[in-house]
Amino acid sequence: MSFLAPLFLVGLAALAVPILIHLTQKERKAVVEFPSLMFLRKIPYESVQRRRIRDWFLLALRLAAIALIVAAFSRPFVRDSAIAATQGGARDIVVLLDRSYSMGYGNTWSTAQRLAGEAIGDATPADRISLVLFADAAEVALRSTPDRSRAVAEITAASPGSGSTRFGPALKLAGSLLAESLLPRQEVIVVSDFQRAGWQPDDTLRMPGGTTIRAVPVGGADGASLALTPVALLRSPVDRAQGPRGPGQPERVTVTAGVLNRTATPATDVPIALDVDGRVVQELKISAGPNQSATISFAPLTITTPNTRAVVRLGTPGQPVDALPRDNVFNFVITPSAPVPVMAVSHSAADAMLYLSRALAIGDAPRFEASMQSPEALAGDAMNRARVMLLNDVAVSDAVAAKLMAFVEGGGGLLVALGPRASWPASRAQWLPVSIGQTVDRTRGAPARLSGMEFGHAVFEPFRAPRSGDFSTARFYSYRSLSAAKDASVLARFDTGEPALVERAAGRGRVLVYASTLDLNWNDLALKPMFLPFVHQIGRHLSGFKEQPAWLTIGQVLDIDAAEVAAGATSGSAARRAGGRTILTPAGQRRDLPAPVVATPGGTAPPVTALELTEQGFYEVRGAGREPGPPIVAASNVAIAESNLDRIDPQELVAAVTGNGTTGSTSGDDVLPDEAQELAQRVWWYLLFAGILLLIAETALAHRLSKAARI
Amino acid sequence: MATGTFPGARFIDPVVLSRIGSLELIAKTVVDGLINGTHRSPFFGASVDFAEHRGYVPGDDIRRVDWRVYARTDKYYIKEFEADSNANFTVLLDVSKSMGFGSKISKLDYGKTLAACLAYLANSQRDRVGLITFDAAVVDHIPASAKHLDVVLHTLSRAAPSQPGELVGPLRRVAEHFGRRGIIVVISDFYAEPEAIFHAVGPIVHRGNDVALFHVMDPQEIDFSFSEASSFEDMESGEQMPIVPGRLADDYRALVRAHIDTLSKKASQQPVDYTLLNTGLPLDYALFRFLSMRQRLARTR
Repeated sequence: MSFLAPLFLVGLAALAVPILIHLTQKERKAVVEFPSLMFLRKIPYESVQRRRIRDWFLLALRLAAIALIVAAFSRPFVRDSAIAATQGGARDIVVLLDRSYSMGYGNTWSTAQRLAGEAIGDATPADRISLVLFADAAEVALRSTPDRSRAVAEITAASPGSGSTRFGPALKLAGSLLAESLLPRQEVIVVSDFQRAGWQPDDTLRMPGGTTIRAVPVGGADGASLALTPVALLRSPVDRAQGPRGPGQPERVTVTAGVLNRTATPATDVPIALDVDGRVVQELKISAGPNQSATISFAPLTITTPNTRAVVRLGTPGQPVDALPRDNVFNFVITPSAPVPVMAVSHSAADAMLYLSRALAIGDAPRFEASMQSPEALAGDAMNRARVMLLNDVAVSDAVAAKLMAFVEGGGGLLVALGPRASWPASRAQWLPVSIGQTVDRTRGAPARLSGMEFGHAVFEPFRAPRSGDFSTARFYSYRSLSAAKDASVLARFDTGEPALVERAAGRGRVLVYASTLDLNWNDLALKPMFLPFVHQIGRHLSGFKEQPAWLTIGQVLDIDAAEVAAGATSGSAARRAGGRTILTPAGQRRDLPAPVVATPGGTAPPVTALELTEQGFYEVRGAGREPGPPIVAASNVAIAESNLDRIDPQELVAAVTGNGTTGSTSGDDVLPDEAQELAQRVWWYLLFAGILLLIAETALAHRLSKAARI
Repeated sequence: MATGTFPGARFIDPVVLSRIGSLELIAKTVVDGLINGTHRSPFFGASVDFAEHRGYVPGDDIRRVDWRVYARTDKYYIKEFEADSNANFTVLLDVSKSMGFGSKISKLDYGKTLAACLAYLANSQRDRVGLITFDAAVVDHIPASAKHLDVVLHTLSRAAPSQPGELVGPLRRVAEHFGRRGIIVVISDFYAEPEAIFHAVGPIVHRGNDVALFHVMDPQEIDFSFSEASSFEDMESGEQMPIVPGRLADDYRALVRAHIDTLSKKASQQPVDYTLLNTGLPLDYALFRFLSMRQRLARTR
């Protein structure tokens, strides 16, 4: 017999209280003055003696009640694993079933299902069973059911997914489930192949006190295991002599695939094929030594259509190279680079915009398709074909300003470079992030210099590092005095402290106001080396361009807005799209995404429309409006780390979660911790109940005796 | 124990009387009320009856010469009357500690009231009244006198229980003082063996005194109506005894009953009048018993 709270035994000193009360009460009993005891002395005295004996019985009852209550508070228990196991009471069992794609190796999954069913085979109807399926994330498939057959049915109905093993979220979920448990015993059963890659030690991960963790390792992954590594794409134009590429122009892509052999057995002449749009275009053979990797390049492909689906496969459809097929397939998307349409408008002659046009013509990520226009072009609908508008020293009329505002709020980007002729209608002055002032002439004396750049902003982020471009070398001979609005961001200032570049979001787009010109009229920035990256960053930032990877890994998130921009979406198409998007998953299921939220002018930027990838294959996103825009195809692959079948010792994981190596066990008959044993036996409850019963009996008996004494 | 009502009695609650500070007023109230209620009593005006004639001898008061007989016989005769009933009336009041007990009114207060009433009544009948208070010894001794009523009442009013009592010794001692026959009233709770009590009363009776024993007891002494188990302390000795009343009550009541019966029986064997007085009953009862005793004594004279 042990006690969980032995200090409460000090309370046994309270046993002296009734004795003292009895004694003191006897001494201090109410004294009744009586004229003479002459007659009372003649009565036999034994009656008093008998009363004393009866009081001692009551006293014994009181002492026993106090002793029982004190013993209950000290929480006694029998330190015996057998007793603990048989008298433990109901259990709250959480089965963590690993459904990562590595569980699909051979018959591993069927073994795991069988072992999981056997692990809960000893569950009694008083027990409660929860089933948690986990890979990258954990989800509760069944919550706290006493029906064991239902739990087995859920286990049978589950199937391995495409995710990677991560024990952390699953154990945290199990801990939160058990923390709400009211049953005396908690048990976690982990059924997994215990890949080492799935366990990241986490000091904050702890199970509730008394929880037993039973690890059920699933074997079987002992054969050969080959995995495809991410491919490398080398793009080259079909004919460089044709000048800058336009949208839809063919592009040659060389695909280089890699194979990783994680076993000690060499892999020789393993078939490897490249599928494009569901058609095998090349078949090769590759060899990899033990624990080595090898690469192989396919012949260059000519890609003319965007979103071309390509797959590299190991083995042939009828002959898998190993028992884990998911990592023998690698999906990716090949899309000819889509240029970002930029419309530059200026009063100046074409040669004045030479530096700007040249700067925009260079570069592949993104590629800008610049169109130099005169201010008159703003009256037409050319604006709808652009993603970015650059106004260099343009006087904007009210009608044009309205169109520009609609353009920006629909998702476009606008840069207003101010020169001597630049103006903006006063009625719409509030829309701009600045109020435009007079021209500041710095032709006399020292020219103005740029300073105070916000290097944390996307425009200046490439220039953050030392010797990454010195803007102070550019000389500004004139500029327009700006007064930034309260909610605008000043990205750069002149050495006088006046704003030089100011930004504010408007709707789904952005507006930048530059206090000087983009040509050489007022400054010589165009002659400086940082002009080209500066223009590129402005174009990239205003267009919202993000380079889209050819593939993603399951668990990553696809930024649909950025993908649309990368696919060549214009502001006009984005503005008119109001019907949301439809997603086609690799499994063939359709899901609708709600229409994008449009931010109010001056408000915060709208949230990014994102899609979490959970399946292996190709996701397709299509717009649902009248002008749906370009479709987006995203390739999703399993994590390469999951193909590493190295295991950890389950005891290591159990020890890390429980805080010591003895609490957790791989078998069910190990010794429970003291708290768990005490909780399971609940002797204190019986003692307390018995003590209360004794007190009630003592009260009733005392009352009865007192009543009898009065008669 | 005599209980119940009797003809002509006025029930005056002794508790109410005890709130009246003046014993004289109390006695007057009780006695006058009682006499008015019993105006046909043969004792009223009994002290002026003619007895006989005798021859004149020098020294006799010439006012007592019966001139009518002288006219007929020419001889001087003195007219003799029935002797006056101005006997010595002495109250022996027990003022021991045990007399201080009382659930509503203490036995001593009851006894003092009774003594005052009796003294007043006796004095109104031209008896000489005296008082002896005693516990283990004689505390106050007021010799019987026709003028001592005020002193008696005053002494009664300041009598208080202070010492343990002892019945036999004081009674034997005071018996020597009663040189003239008289009426002796003993008011006590008689916590002594009956043999000892009558052994002490015997010398008084043998001297020709008319003795009346008034046994004053509180209702709780008679009924023993205690409920809680307690330590009972003897008021005189201070001795304590744990008592469970529920189990002892029957035995106690039987013993008290036997004690009273023995006292009553022994009193009847001697020319002693014994009356048990419950302090819960009115004083009229005691006075009526006293007057009944006087009537009986007159008839047997």
